[in-house]
Amino acid sequence: VNLECILHCFLFLLVFGRAIHAIARISDEFWFDPIEKGLALRSVNSSRSAYAYVFFSSMFFQRYCWTAVSQPCQKEKRLSLPCKLIIKSVLPVFRCVNVLERNVEKCSIYTNVNDHHITFQLLCKHGVVKTYNLTFQECDPLQAVFAKHMCPNILKVHSRLLADIMIHFPTSQEEVTLSVTPVKVCLKSYTEEDTGFSKTMLTEIQLNPDEFDYFQVGVDSEVTFCLKELRGLLAFSEATSVPVSIHFDISGRPIAFGIEDTVLEASFILATLSDVEKETAPQQPPCVSQRQESNAEAAASKKPRWNGNAPNTDSAKPTSPLAKQEIKSIPRVAKKGTTGVAGTAITEAEDHATLEGEATESQIVNPQILYHTEFGGSVSYFCKYCVFQFHSLFFGAVCCKEEDAISHTFHSLATPSDAEEDCGSGQSSQV
Amino acid sequence: MRFRAKIVDLACLNHFSRVINTIAKLAKTCTLRLTVSKLYFILSDKVANGGVSMWCELCQGNFFDEFQMEGVAAEHNEIYLELVPENLSRALKTAQSAKAVKIKLTNKHCPCLRVSVELPSLSSSSRIVTHDIPVGVIPRRLWNDFREPSVPDFDVSIYLPVLKTMKSVVERMKNLSNSIVIEANLSGEMNLKIETDLVSVTTHFKDLGNPPWASEDGCQSSAQGRDLENMAEARIDIKKLQQLLAGQQVNPTKALCNIVSKRIVHFILLHEDVSLQYFVPALA
Repeated sequence: VNLECILHCFLFLLVFGRAIHAIARISDEFWFDPIEKGLALRSVNSSRSAYAYVFFSSMFFQRYCWTAVSQPCQKEKRLSLPCKLIIKSVLPVFRCVNVLERNVEKCSIYTNVNDHHITFQLLCKHGVVKTYNLTFQECDPLQAVFAKHMCPNILKVHSRLLADIMIHFPTSQEEVTLSVTPVKVCLKSYTEEDTGFSKTMLTEIQLNPDEFDYFQVGVDSEVTFCLKELRGLLAFSEATSVPVSIHFDISGRPIAFGIEDTVLEASFILATLSDVEKETAPQQPPCVSQRQESNAEAAASKKPRWNGNAPNTDSAKPTSPLAKQEIKSIPRVAKKGTTGVAGTAITEAEDHATLEGEATESQIVNPQILYHTEFGGSVSYFCKYCVFQFHSLFFGAVCCKEEDAISHTFHSLATPSDAEEDCGSGQSSQV
Repeated sequence: MRFRAKIVDLACLNHFSRVINTIAKLAKTCTLRLTVSKLYFILSDKVANGGVSMWCELCQGNFFDEFQMEGVAAEHNEIYLELVPENLSRALKTAQSAKAVKIKLTNKHCPCLRVSVELPSLSSSSRIVTHDIPVGVIPRRLWNDFREPSVPDFDVSIYLPVLKTMKSVVERMKNLSNSIVIEANLSGEMNLKIETDLVSVTTHFKDLGNPPWASEDGCQSSAQGRDLENMAEARIDIKKLQQLLAGQQVNPTKALCNIVSKRIVHFILLHEDVSLQYFVPALA
């Protein structure tokens, strides 16, 4: 299976570099996903509590050339090349972004599927050419879906204002709490320490709703999220001068920071602390961070939100209730599940991945689930927990985990209802 | 015990921030002593500090537009607080364009200095940033630990060279050695020396001038009757000297040091409304 995908582009380097840096704050690796309409970059952190998505439309580039090529042995054309890159390999290309723009005249990005390379080539002043050949891993697509329009609270503000506010918090400040009522907005540092005696300095900022370009508060809420992960987006939005929109709900539900204009779009979705966890002692396996997404009880009441869409495709197909699908798919063992993330997700990706010998099992990845499975939970408990957990995840889609040590015990949970391609490749049975 | 103060003037605020920044560079934790007319930042010479001590004195009237203080008791109208000056420095750092800064002692969950910064904003009402800095209240019985140190019976007293020059010299020397020798004489000459296995470096300063010290009771101090060329020297931790110099953001009106041979170096930095004394013991 082969796909040849060629991109030639001239970048607004500062913006692109800042996007990479912003994504770097989320995770060490990111998904590089060129599609017909443009280039999508996605990343998710290890605890699945932060997701970043940046999309550059083809018009952002000086030249954008994307072709899908099918090999003779292939029945259909592959329409996407989802692959993963290690951020550390890419960051040096865009290090010192400010300097970059002065020295670099042109930057080309092209992919060579046969070699599994993505090449970044910088044509600099004085005839210097820097070429970076980066290996990528093929993998199942990553996508999270978040129904922004269903959020009762929406704020829109210029990135300059956000930067002016965030500057008051020390760079080491991990988490902040955003608290809104229809008449006031307050942002304060959050600390997990006992309120009895706290040694850390606490900062609180009170703002007037007037300061926002758009201010809608449908429900009073207090959401706590990770500031560190957000700072990258703030720097990115400052570079683009596009206003930032903030969509959120009550505590426990995710908060989405996004920017959008004609040639680019970005979304950073962060999990927020839920009230229940704040009160009870968390019982979690040691390696899971203290802060987690909404827990099962809070989640049970939520409706499943699964939208099999990539933002850049037209086919919006809401799927059938997940419960059925998941339970049915549980018995599958060690199978690469289909991702069915987007209408364009193709199972050939898995075939190829098999050849590579990678474990590309589609999974709902919340480490909590994995641990519950390991610690002797029965299958039925696993199902039940996972069903609720899945409903609670703001990731409507499936995340891919490579080389997961316990992946062989983990079954694919999410399947699309409409994956014709799956049947074609003779994969698992679908609902 | 109450304390409330307010700064409205931007120049005063900047000045105060600079003082706090200097203190923050010298001490991780220090004592803030509040009296009706003055503020003191005190570091007493505990082993944990490496034996250094610091005494910094400000006249509150030069900085604050409003200053109200009620001490622990009528006859002891003072407040002693233990705090991390870096916190205060951070709180003031982003207040450069503030309309007003208020500082208040509060005790909601624990004793805190609450710094409220009122910032201009695009909307009708101001933006208010509040920082709660945790402090420890030092009980009356421990106040004796924080008395003003007396000027030592020095061998040589000499004005320091231009601090910027001294700072760049010391910073380079810091890369080569952990300790530095300061020697000076009553003819206005000072040498900064480092010596390692590989290299020794000496920087000579001259024509610095020696400050006249009036002896209090007319008797001779050990500095008088001393050979003018004779150098008094002390070897001190170079990092301590570097911290002192790095923390100076504005040139002081007067900068001098008193050397007690092989015992201690006493630095005095005087600005119009702030005095800073820094004692660095000699290394063995």
